[in-house]
Amino acid sequence: MSDDSLVFMMGKFETKFPTDRQYAKNHTWAVRGQQGYRFGFTAYAVRLLQDVYFLEWSVDAPSALRQGQEIGFIESSKAESDLYAPLAGQLTTLNPALLSDPSQINLDMYGTGWLYEIDGPGDQLMSPEEYLTHLAGVWEITQRTIKGQLNE
Amino acid sequence: MAKKLTVVLSQGQSQNPAKRNLEEEIVARLLFEPGIEVTIVPHLYDLKPDGPGMLCLEGISGNMVIISWMFERAARWTLDRNGIHGKIGTSLLTYEVDEDELDELEDEEEKAEKQRVADSRPPSNRYIYCLDLRVSNKVDEYVEEIQRIAAEQTPQVMQLGGLTLDPSPSNGNGNSNGEMFGVTPLQQLRHDHPTNDTYVGANHEAPIEPIRIEETGGRRWYPVIDYSRCTNCMECIDFCLFGVYGVDGIDTILVEQPDNCRKGCPACSRVCPENAIIFPQHKTPTIAGSDIVAEGGLKIDLSQLFGKPAEDPNAADTAIRERDEQLLLAGRDAVGASVGMPKRQADKPAEDRDELDDLIDAVDELDI
Repeated sequence: MSDDSLVFMMGKFETKFPTDRQYAKNHTWAVRGQQGYRFGFTAYAVRLLQDVYFLEWSVDAPSALRQGQEIGFIESSKAESDLYAPLAGQLTTLNPALLSDPSQINLDMYGTGWLYEIDGPGDQLMSPEEYLTHLAGVWEITQRTIKGQLNE
Repeated sequence: MAKKLTVVLSQGQSQNPAKRNLEEEIVARLLFEPGIEVTIVPHLYDLKPDGPGMLCLEGISGNMVIISWMFERAARWTLDRNGIHGKIGTSLLTYEVDEDELDELEDEEEKAEKQRVADSRPPSNRYIYCLDLRVSNKVDEYVEEIQRIAAEQTPQVMQLGGLTLDPSPSNGNGNSNGEMFGVTPLQQLRHDHPTNDTYVGANHEAPIEPIRIEETGGRRWYPVIDYSRCTNCMECIDFCLFGVYGVDGIDTILVEQPDNCRKGCPACSRVCPENAIIFPQHKTPTIAGSDIVAEGGLKIDLSQLFGKPAEDPNAADTAIRERDEQLLLAGRDAVGASVGMPKRQADKPAEDRDELDDLIDAVDELDI
């Protein structure tokens, strides 16, 4: 996987994105499986969060999701964030392993640290190349967001 | 004679090692405090109504301090929902309040001359103090506050009897002036050699082991009503279409079926005209029971980067949208504003604490 990845530099930090999958704007990757798409955080998201301490879902599986619907909350050593559905569809599974121990998100973000599976149309998902273009566009805003909050 | 003070520590849900350490260090320090008994329960809000945690809390009859990862009001009214009542003990360990905001809050209180549900309740004969573990990350501050509360218990009792069997706190250095105020030697002897376990000795050497309650079960989601604010107006029972609310024998609103509540949905809280409905786990501080809008957490909020949508302009619209989402998820039809929305004056804006606070902040920035 590491040989076949695209690289984005977050400052001096190198983040890698496997090319065997698609990506969503909320910094998740998506792999088509039997129960729709399986999603997980990208290296970009994990780098922003760093060590994940707590993950909570405000929805149960199975249930229908609207795109952008608030579905959960994550807390890490450095940050916290609400989480939103990357696409509309049926939420089929929430990774049960993460509820008691979310550290797999850090250890294996592209594998066992996956987040949830949604069965829905994936036509808005991006290719790895498109995601990197997206990152280049949002990297400035990301830095401003972090700095803006740190200066408060 | 002073009674024991029970300190209940409600653990956080998070695996955050810093949070766990703070909890355990507070417990470890309190074990050596005379007259303090420590009980550790899982997260108060998640305790099952008939589970061992709640049964244990129900068994505490005296003054109680509850330390939790919740706003003071959220913890207090979660206990209340489970039949655990007490007078409001005032903690000095609270969030710092901006003076301007305090003025604003006081103004609001003066305007309110309404009858609150809590006003008609029989008074309780014990105090409950609620400390929020998010106020400070310093163990000392919690221990000192609990020591202060524990010291508060003693003088009140002494005044009632007019006896000073215990050394007074200001005079407790073994500096005996022999002022006994009519205490007979026999009484003093009984005091010095107590025969029951409600006695609080001044020199406890050995630590008292804390009671640890374990409970399995998932995270819960339900509203709790702040009856010091609630006017029994029934807007929540009209608005909620999932049968969460009901009334008791004397027609007072109550959260009758908490587990009917739709996970993540705080809509009834937004329509409550008195901001009396608390969802302790909601991310918006005013909905989670804060009196004050927190000055942002210590952590960076990445929600905007992770896809947070633009906010609805007012609370009523948000509530209607949230309710419709839940209706659709439950396989029912959306109702929009057609059900349970009272007709307000057209020019009267809906109650929206957040927007008001934005306005106040904007005024502050003018630097007049």
